[in-house]
Amino acid sequence: MSLFEDLKLNVEQGKKEAVLALVAQALDQGHSAQQILQQGLIAAMDIVGAKMEQEEMFIPEVLRAAKTMEAGLEILKPLLGVGDMQVSGKVVMGTVKGDLHDIGKNLVAMLLSSAGFEVIDLGINVAPAVFAQKAEATGADFLGMSALLTTTMPMMAATIEELEKAGLRGRVRVLIGGAPVTQAYADQIGADGYASDAGAAIKVAKELGAVKA
Amino acid sequence: MTQLRNASQVGRLGFLSEQNKRDIYLAALEVLANVGMRVYHEEAKTLLLEAGCTLTPQDRVLMPRHLVEQARLCVPSVVNLYDRDGTLALELGGYNSYFGPGSDLMSTYDLETGAHRPSTLKDVARAARLCDALPHLDFIMSSAHPTDQDPHLSYLLSFAEMMQNTRKPLVMTAENERDLSVMIQIARELRGGAEALRQKPYLVVYNEPISPLEHPEESLSKLLLCADTGVPSIYSPAPLAGATAPITVAGHTTQGVAESLFGLVVHQLRKPGAPFLFGIGPAVLDLVTAQSSYNAVEYLMTYMCAVEMAKWLDIPNWGYAGTSDSQLLDAQAGMEATQITFLAMQAGSNLSHDVGYLDFGLTGSLEEIVLVDEFISMNRRLLAGIEVNRDTLALEAIAEAGPGGQYMTSEHTYRYMRAVQWRPTILNRHGRERWLADGGLDLAARARQKALDLLATHQVPALPADLAVKTDELIGAFAAAGA
Repeated sequence: MSLFEDLKLNVEQGKKEAVLALVAQALDQGHSAQQILQQGLIAAMDIVGAKMEQEEMFIPEVLRAAKTMEAGLEILKPLLGVGDMQVSGKVVMGTVKGDLHDIGKNLVAMLLSSAGFEVIDLGINVAPAVFAQKAEATGADFLGMSALLTTTMPMMAATIEELEKAGLRGRVRVLIGGAPVTQAYADQIGADGYASDAGAAIKVAKELGAVKA
Repeated sequence: MTQLRNASQVGRLGFLSEQNKRDIYLAALEVLANVGMRVYHEEAKTLLLEAGCTLTPQDRVLMPRHLVEQARLCVPSVVNLYDRDGTLALELGGYNSYFGPGSDLMSTYDLETGAHRPSTLKDVARAARLCDALPHLDFIMSSAHPTDQDPHLSYLLSFAEMMQNTRKPLVMTAENERDLSVMIQIARELRGGAEALRQKPYLVVYNEPISPLEHPEESLSKLLLCADTGVPSIYSPAPLAGATAPITVAGHTTQGVAESLFGLVVHQLRKPGAPFLFGIGPAVLDLVTAQSSYNAVEYLMTYMCAVEMAKWLDIPNWGYAGTSDSQLLDAQAGMEATQITFLAMQAGSNLSHDVGYLDFGLTGSLEEIVLVDEFISMNRRLLAGIEVNRDTLALEAIAEAGPGGQYMTSEHTYRYMRAVQWRPTILNRHGRERWLADGGLDLAARARQKALDLLATHQVPALPADLAVKTDELIGAFAAAGA
């Protein structure tokens, strides 16, 4: 097996020690950091993404592969140029005010992160003003909100209003999700994207990202 | 060997107390000793009379208790079956449970067109190949009856098709000892001799008396041939409650036990220690519609009694699974086919057939076979039981996650998830959006798609060329002699 094949397989299987050793070995052999990133780490995550789509991998395996990829990237970072590391976008996210149910939001955050987004997770019970303030302070491209309760869903609309007041609505695209949330509700409150599950959330974010670029 | 064991590790539904089982056994012995049975096979009759049975003026054979007891001492508690390649495949006995299709369905729902049409030899081949591909069907029967062939050749031609289209062990029906002896000859060619086939049985023969209390010439001929050759034999009646058997569950069971044990005695007298399967096909005549039900609740009760009696007698049993009386693969079929299958699994019914039956055992559905395979897969996981130990109690993982934490990146989840979480192949686990995007299909349609995909892709290694030639020769000679 070639070095890069070996590296990709170990990223896919979430074997951190092996990946660190292989990245070091690749550098020793004279491969550029850019080449290792593109043909090793990112190529591996493309395979992982496809296998997740095909339902061959379990989500915890995808998350572990992403963590492993990040560990490899840490070695390369100092060697990479400014334009070498492309971030898909910056996402501020949390559960809305009054809602403490965060496992779905956490899963989306982890998957977005593994798909190359920079995620700023505000946690649970986030007030509309806090969402707007953090979105502005971080220069976020996306704002993601999650709600499990029909009683807390109106906070999504309130947050969008808050973004408008702050003059951020043109720059920040709003993504919403959660069990009771629907596309119809997203349309009604003027959200930019809705996803019915975690896998779909990543797709929607990527599509919206591509529109901007 | 451990991977072959499919016994339920959890509690079982019990229908009979120890006293009930003794009572049923004693009642069956009384039927054998005092009512007697009619035997249409002279050689078998002589065998029985010489062993101590008596003949009444009404030509009934009365069987004394000690002959049954003697047969019980001789009959093996475990019967092993080996696949086409000679690998151990099924260990019939104890609470191990295995599944396969039924045989001789006159009509088939065409997989491609959905049309209800007469079954053909091609359906036998397709069912065998599909079942070969499905991991939770363990043995093969003909499924369809080839109505497009000479009836006297139909069983033999089916046997040849099944041998070509699956590696799994076979359960065969045959017209009489003549076509059966050709099947055994072919199986000996496969194994490399009579002794090799005796050591590693490849086929089981399904023989049946006729209820009430009659033993036809053909059934006993085949039973004796099995005893002589070491080919395992089922001897299972199909007493029809309310018509050819008592209407009560206890009476239904009693007559069935007596009929099956009568065959056991003939079989063990001929060859002590020969492999035998006890069974009752406890059909129920619906006394309003006059249909013979495979899924009446009383059927299920007598079936469970039969399995419990088999365990009590410590003889491997022949059973039923995956059947429905419905006219098509609808919600009724889902409900009935899964209930009988689950009952069979939890009871540890050893060799359960008829997966894919609809329409009172008259019409076959490959989609139903696919559906039941999935159900067996799911419930083998369920009945494997729950492991409770320090590591599965997950105290460290719980402490690590803590309040408000998560387990998606926990080492514990990573380590156990694939072993713990059973994956469906056709049951829907997608949200509405993805389900709609995938065509919004119901379970029957997804089962159909899986069957089509498997039939398009699954290959069974060809038989050695000389064996294929020999098989054709033997069947040709049989056909010529018959004509």
